[in-house]
Amino acid sequence: MNKRLLIILLYILPIPALLVSLFIGPSDAASGGEIFKSVFGFLSGESASGNNPELLNAVVFDVRLPRILLTFLTGSALAVSGCSIQAIFRNPLTDPYILGLSSGAAFGAALAMALVFIPVQLSAFVFGLLAVGLSYFVARKNGNVSVISLILSGIIVSGIFTALLTVVQYFSDPFKLQSIVHWTMGNLHNAGWKKLQSSFIPILAGILIMFIYRWRMNVLALGDDEARTSGINPEKDKLLILLAATLASSSAVAVAGIIGLYGLIIPHIVRMMIGPDNQQSIPLNFVFGGTFLLMIDNLSRTVSGFEIPIGVFTMLLGAPFFIYLIKKTNIGWEQ
Amino acid sequence: MKISKAIFYLIILISFLLQTACNQAVQNDRNVEKNISVTDFRGKEINLSKPATRIVCLIESALSGLYMLNAENRIMGIPSAVYNESAAAQYAVLDQRISDKKLSSPGNWDFLSMEKLVALQPDLVIIWASQQESIEAIEEKGIPVYGVFLRSFDDIYKEIDDLGKLTETSPRADSIIGFTKHEVAGINLKLPAKKQKSVYFMWSQGLLETSGTSSTANELIELAGAKNACQEPQEHIVINLENLLQWNPDVIVMWNQYPKNPDDILNMAELQNVNAVMHNNVYELPPVFWCDLWTLKFQFAAKHLVNYCAADNSEKFNLDLEKEKMIFALYGEKGEELIK
Repeated sequence: MNKRLLIILLYILPIPALLVSLFIGPSDAASGGEIFKSVFGFLSGESASGNNPELLNAVVFDVRLPRILLTFLTGSALAVSGCSIQAIFRNPLTDPYILGLSSGAAFGAALAMALVFIPVQLSAFVFGLLAVGLSYFVARKNGNVSVISLILSGIIVSGIFTALLTVVQYFSDPFKLQSIVHWTMGNLHNAGWKKLQSSFIPILAGILIMFIYRWRMNVLALGDDEARTSGINPEKDKLLILLAATLASSSAVAVAGIIGLYGLIIPHIVRMMIGPDNQQSIPLNFVFGGTFLLMIDNLSRTVSGFEIPIGVFTMLLGAPFFIYLIKKTNIGWEQ
Repeated sequence: MKISKAIFYLIILISFLLQTACNQAVQNDRNVEKNISVTDFRGKEINLSKPATRIVCLIESALSGLYMLNAENRIMGIPSAVYNESAAAQYAVLDQRISDKKLSSPGNWDFLSMEKLVALQPDLVIIWASQQESIEAIEEKGIPVYGVFLRSFDDIYKEIDDLGKLTETSPRADSIIGFTKHEVAGINLKLPAKKQKSVYFMWSQGLLETSGTSSTANELIELAGAKNACQEPQEHIVINLENLLQWNPDVIVMWNQYPKNPDDILNMAELQNVNAVMHNNVYELPPVFWCDLWTLKFQFAAKHLVNYCAADNSEKFNLDLEKEKMIFALYGEKGEELIK
């Protein structure tokens, strides 16, 4: 397909995806027909239409809409953060969780669930940030942070928080244990306006910073010496981009739970489709990351009578698509 | 205008729109007339203007309580586990809608479909108090939530009393609580410490999963005049096999855990020196519906324990008669069908 046409399509894709998602759900109270009837009634000036307009409003505007928006933002945050982290680390195997974010957040959430009196979302956010901060300071030596030591410290910190998570799980009763395990599989079923309100500002702020710095990522991807030659302070820029990626992804993880490998797969898919230029791939990760997660979530909330954790579907659907792209194209990193 | 600037302004615009939408949606706290008021296990006051008539109950034990209160016509949603677990046959007897699989299940207590729940238009949701995130999401939609957390038999009495108030069935609640307290008074054995047998309570997750002293299992054991082999303070605990050998319990009581049975424990080579195994004192409680420790039916489990611990192996209670008496008292007319 023509690359320009593909990019235009990717930019337009969220609009139909967001609208179609409003019509999808497990309840008959807000089926496509009911929503059309209600909209038609509204446009033709009737005050109330359909069988139960109040219920229709509640399902569409209090349940589906906040969930759709939160899902879109979560997917966008993970994809943009993954793309940025891969760019600054010059490593295609990294993702937002590489510095211990997911393990820290999972421990924070588990601790809150076990102790009850701490808000789960806040605890996940704080411990996610704490884990990344710890990884950064462990890796810092003589004022410098090398990529290798940062990734290694991330693995160690991640291991520590995973061990702490296991301790909490071990001492939790079966009900709490089940909740903790489910939280780590993705937690979008509890989405609501309050969660959206508490998360969209840090998510969008982080994405905005990464968007502004997207051209610098191209320079940073050349190497530190080349970046300095171009008048860029690579340490400062990397730290800022890392902070922005952590802010966006930890806010997303705090409200949506852990959606494994999403921040790794989506940037690669986008790169395979449009190439490695971060100027283009950052905004396209925003639209495609959000849209793809939205489509997966639509499946997870409709495929059976009860909720299936979204993390299951991201892997079951994302992985074959990823494999297909690997077979069809090259990985796109060397282009 | 360059596309990058357009995207920048678009993100700012999205932020503004989201903030406006969130502010409008979150301001839906309703002023409720306080005609009925109870405090749930979170310490939160639940206020209803009228008795609940559309209840979604996501806890199986509380659901059992609602049927005991004859409030089945008020139940609109049940945990999906009810359709799958061993108690499905009994619930099918209690409610034709369950038998026909027509009673909606928006999920279990942890993984629930918010859309299905809202579509049921409940005026009360009953859920475990520890499910903070689900509770917040439900309450955000203006639906009252009664959070349950059971640690003792007194908590079960409180739960039934509260459900009675919320469903305007307080006389029935008083009646079944009174019956249970009377039965418990008839069981309550106060034996001198020397005569107390030590009981190891084994949950369905496996041999090493037990309950410590702050649990309903502990209360059950003490009610039967025995002492808990596990004196750790935790509610649920996974122990080491060495602990079990050291405690050397006189009786092992298994929570119903089909397909395992007492023979599996009796045949375990590593347990052959344990008193309970040596004297063939390993028992399995009846299926959960008949002696759920989080319902008023805990009395039946206690009576089993009394028989298991009887010093001369004589049975203090005729369990068939006790079962009939309890089921008739707790479930009324449907009791006969249940017993069949």
